[in-house]
Amino acid sequence: MAAERSAEVTWQGSLMEGSGTIDQVGSRAFGPLDVSWAARSEEEDGGKTSPEELIAAAHAACFSMALSHGLAQAGNAPEQLKTSATVTFVPGTGITKIALTVRGRVPGLDEEAFRHAAEEAKEGCPVSQALAGVGEITLDASLA
Amino acid sequence: MPRIERNATVTWEGNVARGTGLISAGTGAFGELPYSLPVRIGAGNEGKTSPEELLAAAHAGCFAMGLAGELTKRGTPPGRLEVGCRVTMDEVEGKGHQIVHSTLDAVASVDGIDDAGFDEAAQVADQECPFSALIRASAGVTINAKLEGGR
Repeated sequence: MAAERSAEVTWQGSLMEGSGTIDQVGSRAFGPLDVSWAARSEEEDGGKTSPEELIAAAHAACFSMALSHGLAQAGNAPEQLKTSATVTFVPGTGITKIALTVRGRVPGLDEEAFRHAAEEAKEGCPVSQALAGVGEITLDASLA
Repeated sequence: MPRIERNATVTWEGNVARGTGLISAGTGAFGELPYSLPVRIGAGNEGKTSPEELLAAAHAGCFAMGLAGELTKRGTPPGRLEVGCRVTMDEVEGKGHQIVHSTLDAVASVDGIDDAGFDEAAQVADQECPFSALIRASAGVTINAKLEGGR
């Protein structure tokens, strides 16, 4: 069955001086969230989200789920996975890199098997597949 | 060109069928949003987000900024843009779950531009939105952009 997920954004004014709001998402889980070009493209985030941060959140969430699935299928369901995704955005060029870091607490599993499972999750999760065009997706995986 | 880094973290506990995760943004704009497999693929997802919903928010935000930028470049900055995005995930034979489509619906209020000029700006915005470019490699992207309330 297909799953559809939705979001709504309002923007007012020019790119540099204007600003926008992620008014709501279909689930109502978050929003409204303010967005602006300054918050997206400067070092100081000032508590505002951006498309790249949302992509980081989507990728970390998708990867974690895929890894838990792979581990459980091999008989080693994780107690806990802590995943971080960092998206690098170069204005004018695009998204150039995503760095995934995961630390796992998985009873009965050694480092090598964990790294192998993490590599498979990185290749296979739907968000990784959708973002396969990113030049560099790195993975740093180890047991906690 | 500056390199901008944006980060998010997830804590997941348990197997995929019964486990749950919490999603937090590096900026603190949102934190500890719960998600799980039933919520991700099922119908009753009230109050709980999913990777695909976060991508829908990212794509709508990315396209809105791209369109504002392109309209500004043409000397007709928008009064107001309303952009909705719907991301579809489906099971694909032999590949499991895949993100198959993203649909953007935009309604714009812009003074001093005609329909043809606006349509062109929307096409350019789509081409220049980094996220559109990325997912086009593996999924369909549909843009429905409409001019309304301008002169």
